[in-house]
Amino acid sequence: MGTDGKMSSTPTDVETSRRPESIAERLRSVDPWMAALALSSALIALLVVSPMFWLVREAATVDPSRAYDLVVTSQTAWITVNSVVLMVAVTLLSILLGVPLAILTTRTDLPYPRAWTVVAALPLVIPSYIGAIAFVGMFGQGGELDTLFGVTVPRVDGLSGAVFIITLYTYPYVFLTTRAALLSMDGSLVDAARTLNAGPFEAFRRVTFPQIRPGIAAGALLAALYAVSDFGTPAFMGARVFTSTIYWEFGGFAVEYAALLAIQLIAIVAVVLVIEAGIGRDEDASGGTGDGSTIRLGAWKWPAMGFVSTIGAVTLVVPVAIFTNWLVRSEGDRIASLEFQPEFALNSVYLAVLAALVAAAFALPVAYYSGRVNSTISRLLERATYLGFAVPGIVIGLALVFLGTRTVPSLYRDGVALLVFAYVVRFLPQAVGTTRASVLGIDDTLLEAARTLDSGRIETFRRVTLPLIMPGVVAGAVLVFLTTMKELPMTLMLQPVGMDTLVIIIWEAQRGLYYRYAAIPALLLLVISGLTMIVSLRQEGYEIG
Amino acid sequence: MGQNTGEVGDRRNGVRRRQFVAATGVATVGVLAGCLGNGGNGSGDGEEVGGNGNGDANGGGDRVVDAEPGGEPVDSTAVSWDDLGDLEGQITIYSGRTRDQIDPVFEALEAEYDGLDIELFYDDNDVQVNQILQEGEATVADLMYSQDPGALNELEANDALQELPADVVDAVPASYRHPDGLWTGVTGRTRSIIYNSDRLDETGLEDWEELPTDIMAFDTDDRLQGVISTRPNSGTFRGFIQAMVELEGEPETREWVRGMIDHQDVQLFSGGSSQAEAINRGGDDDPVVGLGNSYYAARILNEDPDAPIRTTHTENDAGCLFSVAGVGVMNQVDDPELVAEFVRHLLAAEGQEFMMDANGEYPVVEGIDYVGPLPDLTEINPPEFDLSSFDMELQDAQDLLTEEGMTV
Repeated sequence: MGTDGKMSSTPTDVETSRRPESIAERLRSVDPWMAALALSSALIALLVVSPMFWLVREAATVDPSRAYDLVVTSQTAWITVNSVVLMVAVTLLSILLGVPLAILTTRTDLPYPRAWTVVAALPLVIPSYIGAIAFVGMFGQGGELDTLFGVTVPRVDGLSGAVFIITLYTYPYVFLTTRAALLSMDGSLVDAARTLNAGPFEAFRRVTFPQIRPGIAAGALLAALYAVSDFGTPAFMGARVFTSTIYWEFGGFAVEYAALLAIQLIAIVAVVLVIEAGIGRDEDASGGTGDGSTIRLGAWKWPAMGFVSTIGAVTLVVPVAIFTNWLVRSEGDRIASLEFQPEFALNSVYLAVLAALVAAAFALPVAYYSGRVNSTISRLLERATYLGFAVPGIVIGLALVFLGTRTVPSLYRDGVALLVFAYVVRFLPQAVGTTRASVLGIDDTLLEAARTLDSGRIETFRRVTLPLIMPGVVAGAVLVFLTTMKELPMTLMLQPVGMDTLVIIIWEAQRGLYYRYAAIPALLLLVISGLTMIVSLRQEGYEIG
Repeated sequence: MGQNTGEVGDRRNGVRRRQFVAATGVATVGVLAGCLGNGGNGSGDGEEVGGNGNGDANGGGDRVVDAEPGGEPVDSTAVSWDDLGDLEGQITIYSGRTRDQIDPVFEALEAEYDGLDIELFYDDNDVQVNQILQEGEATVADLMYSQDPGALNELEANDALQELPADVVDAVPASYRHPDGLWTGVTGRTRSIIYNSDRLDETGLEDWEELPTDIMAFDTDDRLQGVISTRPNSGTFRGFIQAMVELEGEPETREWVRGMIDHQDVQLFSGGSSQAEAINRGGDDDPVVGLGNSYYAARILNEDPDAPIRTTHTENDAGCLFSVAGVGVMNQVDDPELVAEFVRHLLAAEGQEFMMDANGEYPVVEGIDYVGPLPDLTEINPPEFDLSSFDMELQDAQDLLTEEGMTV
């Protein structure tokens, strides 16, 4: 894969069919603007994939026969099956929850749609391991529910428990992307189908579903990758999957085995990425204007609201109630260094804003290139940015410890640059996905019109394209902001000294059993993230009109 | 020591620069190594102490082992902070211990010495070790404060540690430190049996006194079937397995692990706090008894004095293994005298007492008596062990657990 490959794969939109040509001709036909775009996409993809080279380096130190044994043991087969089950189950359940919720909040006359949207999206801001701690404490005999109300809810644990918890905190990915797709699709199509005597389900299956399929696929992919890379929850629930096994080897200081396992995990994820590239292929989901018909819920609005509020109660009220309970209940020795300071919140927000900005900037060329040019290379570069999201943070963290100390030692543990880069490596696909979706939605005729009016390339981009894709860019930045706010392992490994974040304090309080010190940071994490979400949804509301 | 301050600062910068240069390219590292081999220290301005190179293959001009005490040396009696040299400058610590465990003593030290700046990085013990090994020469840590000896042995096995001064080594009994003084224990604790005192009738026991006092009976005692738990992924658990192999033999240990899984249906936890909480919660699915560290129970009782969780000990076997939390000094440190004097402060009377108060841990210095709610060490009678040299390698203990299926 040299520059040749890249250059030849970047024909402009019009010139695709003329071949064979001489090399000189082909070079002349290369649009310098597209070439620059391709080059910057390639650089960004290379940059965010670079930590994976450390995995190969580490895994290569494993004695080959031992590596073979490790790969083919029944234990490995078992955790592979478990990981795939976890991923598939979380993805399917997220679709089952997220798609109906998206339809309810956008296509029906459900009262207070914006409030319900926030309720449905908010679980995304809760780190799933906090959810796990809350649920384990709440459910089961002797749990909080049992103690307070005498109600015994079966306790959650094992693989099914992990599926349950992770789904509750990842379905918002599907909800948000599906919702965006529904909002941008041309609703009048559905009306047309209905006037042609198609029933509502028929109209959904044949008109709406194909239009929102890329949206569902994009969210499902994020949910799937989150599920396989989640570290804390499966370990806490006692589920044996790749991440918990990586953690086990890590704990025995067998980093090379952990790296080998992580590579196996990446191999599985690569398959998923290829499959998803096929499902999400419908590129022509062009944006529409009409609001389309609204489904009248009638008396069904009560069960509908009940559905949304049950999910809200389970995912939000349970943790909040537990945090509040921690705050009022426990009393013990004062631990000065865990006592709340406003800096914790400021540090969290500062890091998350930086990560969101850098990720949005990085996502733009990759998303634009892969959205405008449909070539193997452009797709490959876009897919490559997804790998980091599938690798547990602790592995990426360690890779950057190694690479950071050897390439930029002056930045190591000094300033936030390396930490922000780590966040971008992990969370970039969230920004790439939403940005790309909005690039795909651009109406080509608008760009052509701008160019016939003699507007230059950059001018067109700045005045026409950028405003059109801005909602997608902002939505991606918000997702990166929210996930950075709740990130723990890389923050611990790469933070500059004393830069404690809300999640660090929650973790520290929780592992020491000093829960009351976890309460305020946890509640604040929810409030800040929730407000961010409300503001971004409101802004989106204006954009859509 | 006071007049030294300016030099300490200068030299520190010098070292920082050198580390930066060293890590920017292999070629530069070669040149630098040659430079250090000549005993040069880069900054060249009047050094009072150290700088003889010590012939250590790991390089570095000033070795902590040569750092003369700033005041009195420490020994096995209770030396007071007042008699030690002042602490001045910046020291960076990677801690696998939690804030509540170590902060009280660090806060007291910073209050005592205006010029002392302690920079702390917290993470899980295992992560800290892996991180230091990946950082290699470029580590910013001066000191690793570890939850268990296994992590320090791992650092030592990878040549990441340097020798401690003779007075520090001599102050601590040989079984609580590395034999050559490459790391030392600071405080100790025993493994224990934790149980929920409200749930006796859910075990087959008539009285809690009937809990086996031999750890090797826990895998076969029917009365504990289905109600016992442990946490197999901690450093102290691996140390416990290593000790069992040494005391009882490997086949017996494997049989014990298998028995715990197959016969007792042991419930496994991935965290010590979640294990202790489950025992204390006392739901139907929660374990009644657990093998683990006693300080989790102590914390729960501290938060809620009415909690039903209790601890007891086995007798003179791996089940009540005495183990230490301790410190090791990184190969290259900015200020060897400061680091050496810092370790002396941890082993002096006030350091040991702060730890005793904050964690309910035992002192490692003989001249300091344990005061607290736990039974005295002579009552518990833990087995004698050299914590640095188990017959069984750590990785082998990990493999044994993986092979027998005791993993989380």
